[in-house]
Amino acid sequence: MNYLELLRALLPETALVVGALLALTFDLSFGVRQSRETRLHAAVIIGTLAVVAAMFGALSAGVADAVFGGVLVLDELTLASRLGVLMLAWLTLTLTGGTARLRHPAEFVAIVLFATAGFTLMAAAQQLLVAFLALELASLSLYILAGFDKSRPESAEAALKYFLFGGMSAAFLLFGFSLIYGLTGSIELPQIAHQLARQGQSPLLSLALVMVLVAFGFKAAAAPFHLWAPDVYEGAPVVSSALIASASKLAGFTLFVRLLWPGFGPAAGSVATAAGSPGWLPLVACLSAASLLLGNFAALAQSNVRRLLAYSAIAHAGVMLLGVIVAGDAGLGPLFYYVFTYGLATIGAFAVIAVVERAGCCQKITDLAGLHRRSPLLAGCFAVYLLSLAGIPPLAGFFGKFTVFAAALNLGGLAGPAGWLALLAIALSAVALYYYLVMLKQALVVAPADPASAPVPVPADAAIVLVFTALLLVLLGLFPSVVLRIF
Amino acid sequence: MSLSAQFLWLIPALPLLAAALGAFAPRGARTLVAGAAIGALALSFFLSCAALSTALANPAAHLTHNFTWFELGNDTVRLGWLLDPLTAFMCTMVTFVGTLIFIFSLGYMKADENFKQFFCFLSLFAAAMLGLLVANSLLLLFVCWELVGLASYLLIGFWFHKPSAAAAAKKAFITTRIGDLGFLLGLLWLYDSAGSLLLYDHGHGVLEATALGALGSAATVGGLTVASAIGLLLFCGAVGKSGQFPLHVWLPDAMEGPTPVSALIHAATMVAAGVFLMARVYPLLTADVRQVIALIGALTALLGAVIAVAQSDLKRILAFSTVSQLGYMMLAIGVGAPGAAVFHLLTHAFFKALLFLGAGSVIHAAHHEQDIRQLGGLSTKMKLTFATFAIGTMALVGVPLVFSGFWSKEAILHAAHATSGSPFPFYAALIGVALTAFYNTRLISETFFGHGRSHAAQHAHENSAVMTTPLVILAFFAIVLGFLGTPAYPWLQARLNGETAVHGHSLLDGAGLMVLSIVLVAAGIGAGWWLYGRKLRLRIKASAPDPLATAAPRAHAWVVARLQFDELYAATVGVLNTFLATAADGFDRYVWGGIVHFLALLGEFCGTVNREADEQGLNAGFDATSEKLRGTGQAYSRAQTGDAHGYLRLLAVGFVVLALVAILGGVA
Repeated sequence: MNYLELLRALLPETALVVGALLALTFDLSFGVRQSRETRLHAAVIIGTLAVVAAMFGALSAGVADAVFGGVLVLDELTLASRLGVLMLAWLTLTLTGGTARLRHPAEFVAIVLFATAGFTLMAAAQQLLVAFLALELASLSLYILAGFDKSRPESAEAALKYFLFGGMSAAFLLFGFSLIYGLTGSIELPQIAHQLARQGQSPLLSLALVMVLVAFGFKAAAAPFHLWAPDVYEGAPVVSSALIASASKLAGFTLFVRLLWPGFGPAAGSVATAAGSPGWLPLVACLSAASLLLGNFAALAQSNVRRLLAYSAIAHAGVMLLGVIVAGDAGLGPLFYYVFTYGLATIGAFAVIAVVERAGCCQKITDLAGLHRRSPLLAGCFAVYLLSLAGIPPLAGFFGKFTVFAAALNLGGLAGPAGWLALLAIALSAVALYYYLVMLKQALVVAPADPASAPVPVPADAAIVLVFTALLLVLLGLFPSVVLRIF
Repeated sequence: MSLSAQFLWLIPALPLLAAALGAFAPRGARTLVAGAAIGALALSFFLSCAALSTALANPAAHLTHNFTWFELGNDTVRLGWLLDPLTAFMCTMVTFVGTLIFIFSLGYMKADENFKQFFCFLSLFAAAMLGLLVANSLLLLFVCWELVGLASYLLIGFWFHKPSAAAAAKKAFITTRIGDLGFLLGLLWLYDSAGSLLLYDHGHGVLEATALGALGSAATVGGLTVASAIGLLLFCGAVGKSGQFPLHVWLPDAMEGPTPVSALIHAATMVAAGVFLMARVYPLLTADVRQVIALIGALTALLGAVIAVAQSDLKRILAFSTVSQLGYMMLAIGVGAPGAAVFHLLTHAFFKALLFLGAGSVIHAAHHEQDIRQLGGLSTKMKLTFATFAIGTMALVGVPLVFSGFWSKEAILHAAHATSGSPFPFYAALIGVALTAFYNTRLISETFFGHGRSHAAQHAHENSAVMTTPLVILAFFAIVLGFLGTPAYPWLQARLNGETAVHGHSLLDGAGLMVLSIVLVAAGIGAGWWLYGRKLRLRIKASAPDPLATAAPRAHAWVVARLQFDELYAATVGVLNTFLATAADGFDRYVWGGIVHFLALLGEFCGTVNREADEQGLNAGFDATSEKLRGTGQAYSRAQTGDAHGYLRLLAVGFVVLALVAILGGVA
């Protein structure tokens, strides 16, 4: 047990927690006399510094094997996921500085940092207990963030639903974990894998796996555990939604893919052939198919921008689950690339919504009408995000879909469910293009509802987020190997 | 000063950056965009000079820098930059001539309201061309090739409100696309058989011995080797881009663009791309392919010269002379003298840019009058333009010993003479020499001598220095450039062939041929002067008939109509295309449309049946259930919390379903 080693591995979390405490202290001591604007900016600056420090921490922790007796692991996935989460958190913070009107800015920033600490810990956890604690740290912070806007009842409603759902799925997860502990006698993933390989399938194991998958489905917003997503995306403050939709998703997928493949890999089963074999892979395939169908079709009926993004998130979760399925064979590259670029595009889309909302109202899709006149920058960036989400080349979304689908088809061609799932996802991409273009049509083609509607001012910090994400989406689309090479 | 291959991308990147700036800058930022465009290209020129000095230090080496663009499964797509004398010479020429043309455009386009856009497109054009030059991968080359096509489309159709300009842009785009299809097929075939599209890759590139050997020995249909088939397909692309017969028809129409664009297309960028491509992939060209190239080149050289004789539009005559000169370059490639082809390409770039800018100067001064019958008498009014234009013409004609065109054309004629294949290309080239001298004498006589035959010509006066300075600079190079490759000291050809030593020979070797071509030039000029230039024969009225038209009216009319190629294509390819389009339209409308209609009707029918069944049968029961549920919901306090309960219930249901699937699946 080497505590120094542990300290080094936990540098990012330390930096984030210290940053959160500093932001609170600063606000309580110096901030009381200042205007709310100044307090917000001070908190955001402290938060940004903490995130940057955490990035350096993550880099200096580097790549190592199991740390502190196998509690944590610092592999390529940890490093990439930590950096990705921190970048998304940084974008959220910057966006907060530009657009949010908060009664308690320092608290907000501090809780974002706590949530981020949870995310980075989720990325590194290699033991069931740490994984659960990290997940709960992140989740509790997110519940608070969802309900942060106390002036709007929708926000409170969103937080309550999120909390109820999250609490329920946490109970499932804990139950599943205890069953697995009972079956294998260990809470460390390598030992669990070792034991599972010896034991083989049993009904109890199936039950435990299903319980873990319920929690996973909740975290990923996969059907049929998606019901919280539309309400939360719609009701929570925009920046909170952005964090929930991007960084939280990346951390969640990192955690669960680590649980599933290195941990429960021997119980994976197979979806490569028609007969297949029992395990958790067929279940994930079921979730994936359900999410793809439900997300895409339900999105067609939406008229609220944020609800539409929520259903598109459910549809994307379906593709990400496909990425989890192929991770055993094609490695983590496709999944990570997909989730990360999805996070970027989503955070960008929420940034556009936040900026428009700051200047007025952004509830219905028709509220975006004439955006190209009111703010060309917003409209242009919005086009990049939505086209990336729709998977139009040369944007990153296209390449993400491409690698995942190619890997799925490589798994066994059309002999097994995986190939057919990929075909289904490809067909539904066409459906998805429709609802993205409906939004884009409003933003780029339709004239403003009110010809005299004022231009939308874009604050500098929000402009940084917009341009940065749009550029990154284009560049990663052109040079995908920058990310794919890591794995 | 040196530039390693690793940083070669900077040369196209700078104009590309300027183009991006031009695209995003506000409409009013005229000076900013134009300044950025000129500055970027000038900077690229200095970089090109650095690259040239690097390349000349070791002319035989092909310095490359390759990198992986992306990987797909086991396939890696690699791109790269290539630095050798060919690239370096071409880059230097394009950036230098391009900069002068950009500067000239400052004056020429001064009054245009889309000034900013014009410079944005010009920069894009230059960037695409430079990208094409530095590419070490045929894929990258093809991408830039298409970008050149796009930029030319935008620029030829720059005055798109003129229907003729819009049509010309479309024609250029579609005609070159026909050739590009061949190019693309060639690329795919090459990738399939060689497994790479890198030109040089430390022994694994397609232009290196291993791949060439494999391609040359594999046979395909009709006794052709794979290398020959691929070479022919690649040549298709060059035929389209470089305006070779039978795809030359777009080039004269491209005159509809602003004159600086014509200069850029005809001198430095677009048409040079085809010749450059052939020179670049020269090791791939087998003897069969070269024979085809020589034949097409000679035919084009002759054809262009013949048609130019009877045209009356100033720019169109120059356009056909470009067609003809490009034919000479292709001929040189075909007879195994790529060095001579590139030499002629370089000298031609300078004197043709000079001629087009001179023509632009004339047109600008004469209020956009470009019919030479309406001009006349400009030699006294525009002395500087006249002097430089005359130098350009003499270079084009090949007036002996002093002008650059003479030496480069001489190199091509010698190569054509020495080749062992059919003698037709050689004789066609000789006839072309005489015709070139003839129509250029006519051009000069009608434009600059005699009296002004229109109001505009009578009141023309010399343009500002921003337009004439480039002319003077280009005129200087139109003379001196020839001395880089005289037979006595063929430095340029030696460097292009990768030799450090220069083996010249006495001018008296092959003097007979040189004398013959001098005689032909003299005969051409003499005939032209006799028919058009003498005081007696100088045109007095714009409507006076052409002496050739009086001598042979029907033949002359046929040549005026450009041998009716456009009509021929309209009657064959155009009609076939229209027929196929009509057939496809009918098929779509009636066959597929019928099927879709049937399916729609079927769907509607099913829907009706469904709805009836639903409303009559199921709904009654469902409504009752719904009422029950609604009643239960009301029993809970309010709708929202009731919602959350429902959510959680569904979570539990989902769990149970998944568990059932898992356990049933596990048991099976």
